Amino acid sequence: MIFPFIAVPLILASVMPLIGRFSKRFLPDALTNLAFLFLLVYSLITMRQLSATGPAIHQLLFLKQVLNINMVIDGFSAFMLFTISLVTLCAGLFSINYMEHYGAKANYYALLLIMVAGMNGLVLANDLFQVYLFLEVAAVASYGLVAFGLGLDELEASYKYLMLSAVSSGFILISIAVIFSLTGSLNFGQVAAGLQALNMKYAVGLCAGFFILGFGLKSALVPFHAWLPDAHPSAPAPISAMLSGLLIKVSGVYALARIFFNVFGLNPALSQVLMYAGVISLVVGAVIALGQNDIKRMLAYSSISQVGYIILGIGLGTPLGILGGLFHLFNHAIAKGLLFLNSGSIQNATGTRSLDQMGGLAKRMPLTAATTLIGSLSIAGVPPLAGFWSKLIIIIALFQARQYGFALIAVLTSIVTLWYYLLIQRAAFFGKLNETWKNIKEAPFWMSASTVILGLICIAVGIFFGVVIRSWIQPAADALSAGVIYGFKMMGF
Amino acid sequence: MNSAWYLQMGFAAVLLFVGIYCLLTMRNLIKLFIGIEIISKAITLALITSGLLRNNMTLAQALTITFIVVEVSMVAVALAIIINVYRHTGSLDVRQLTKLKG
Amino acid sequence: MVLQIFLLCGLTIFSVLAILLRDLLKAAISLALASIFLAMVFFRLNAPYAGVFEISVVAGLITVLFITTIALTKSPSDVRESKLLLIIFPLFFAVFIVIDLIIMKNLLNAVQPNLPGAPGPAGTFGQVYWNERTFDLVAQIGVIFAGVFSVLALFRTKDKHE
Repeated sequence: MIFPFIAVPLILASVMPLIGRFSKRFLPDALTNLAFLFLLVYSLITMRQLSATGPAIHQLLFLKQVLNINMVIDGFSAFMLFTISLVTLCAGLFSINYMEHYGAKANYYALLLIMVAGMNGLVLANDLFQVYLFLEVAAVASYGLVAFGLGLDELEASYKYLMLSAVSSGFILISIAVIFSLTGSLNFGQVAAGLQALNMKYAVGLCAGFFILGFGLKSALVPFHAWLPDAHPSAPAPISAMLSGLLIKVSGVYALARIFFNVFGLNPALSQVLMYAGVISLVVGAVIALGQNDIKRMLAYSSISQVGYIILGIGLGTPLGILGGLFHLFNHAIAKGLLFLNSGSIQNATGTRSLDQMGGLAKRMPLTAATTLIGSLSIAGVPPLAGFWSKLIIIIALFQARQYGFALIAVLTSIVTLWYYLLIQRAAFFGKLNETWKNIKEAPFWMSASTVILGLICIAVGIFFGVVIRSWIQPAADALSAGVIYGFKMMGF
Repeated sequence: MNSAWYLQMGFAAVLLFVGIYCLLTMRNLIKLFIGIEIISKAITLALITSGLLRNNMTLAQALTITFIVVEVSMVAVALAIIINVYRHTGSLDVRQLTKLKG
Repeated sequence: MVLQIFLLCGLTIFSVLAILLRDLLKAAISLALASIFLAMVFFRLNAPYAGVFEISVVAGLITVLFITTIALTKSPSDVRESKLLLIIFPLFFAVFIVIDLIIMKNLLNAVQPNLPGAPGPAGTFGQVYWNERTFDLVAQIGVIFAGVFSVLALFRTKDKHE
């Protein structure tokens, strides 16, 4: 029974304006966060159920009549659902306090719910066109959310983001049209079967190229990364956390991995392209991040770099590489969400995002400083936090596949990553307290609570990484490395 | 008409080129968006042509109609952003929007 | 066949006009005319539903939205497009068409590809749309909601307590 993942957010979003008329703040806050909590618990139940029955297609039955809504759930989808609900819950809790001075909370929560519904639909789709459709649902909601503050910066960022995102969606759809004309169907299994039987290498290569263009733009691979350093800093902090932590991974990395592994089948040329794209993003993102003065811009470039890591691991194609890539996807979602939320706390307290103007904030905001330290060290890959293990697995996988050059670059870039994150810590939190910030207070309750939750998860996943890998990351990696899938067994209810 | 599928695909490619050229060279915000509209026309032509090739017009039409609905939504949001930009700066020049450097 | 080529050329010419014309209003109307030509192509290809939707939505609703925006953003000074880029456009266009024609000619010589895969349609249009692609309808509802709420968010009036 996995339809509630899409139905609950959509239905709640549709009645949100009505609720907003009665109660401007309390009811939208409470209902939305309860819905997110429900999604999180339900995703845990689904994962438990999945390990019992194995991957299946769920067909919706309405009043004893079969409604042709087929959703597939396997290890990879369940893993993504869990990640999405976790980061969304924390961003939702953060928004309770943070969105006070933006106003129109009901509208904001409605858009947030639609974005979550779109992302959930994307990971549950069994059909190429549905992947495109839910991608657009999440994207249109995110255009509105990035421009939510209505300042000129936000509008400019949203406009550029919209243009580039529309072009990428166009390329994806053209590729889907060509695949439809080649194989006659849009279902993952049937397309896979059709592509195997076909002999037109140029047409299939063209489709693969357009997919890399389209999804690469969505996941901000270099050289298609130009929209991200503008869009993510300008959005409100919880939306930056959602975009950087979830949207570029769900509509970019997940769709890319699903289509290239389960439909096309990974061949050496494709693997090389993905690995080179990953390693170039890795280096470029890290190097440019060093020279930034705005804290959110530095975090945005770091996102580009870490997504390069994930694509490097997944593009390698070996089971260990895929495992490392997916684990890093989870860790980065948690840690980057945490860091963006904290930058929102800083912006709320001091009103600035510029690292030059901050200084010594740790004395007045100890909780924020501590959680930022945890998140930074996790991404930079310091043991025993979670990020260390995922980076280690990727590097070991590279060594095992004899890609020594890539491994060396990955290790060196990790050091650069650690360097600029420590820069943030030193410039913003440690050192002498800047006189202007003498009277600031620690972040309000919900904002601190959500970041503390994410920080604790970073530590817990780092310590118990064996259990984490075995219970939910390994099934996801297995689902991907199973290669081309021709169909799942049907389960109706 | 079945054998003329390449004709449609060729024109779809031409429209795609015209749309991308518009995006690369125009400076008016609304003109830039007209470029995306032209790309959308290319996409609908490609979708219908693929239906022609597979002799499955019903499915192709369903896809096209769904895509047009998505396109309308996107146009509405984009034009709302453009109107808001105009309220801020009073002009529609994309060179005015260079505060963020990308 | 000749009519088909005429319609497709009309579509292309009006699209090109839409970007070359200086006046925004004329560009929007040129875009609408291109939509009408595209819809006629759809009718000839035996896709009536797509043609009707194209005319009523793209040539109708979207053109109205464009004209509303153009009316709301009248500025005293026009945005100066770069003359050079507009002049070299025909050059690039001609080059692209030549490359395109060469590729198309090669495909013409190839026999219509014997494409394997799933069989043809399974019912009338209504049946396919409602029964087979039901999930798409859920996504369409989502997209429409997303668009509506985004526009509401962008045009909201600021509350007093901010």
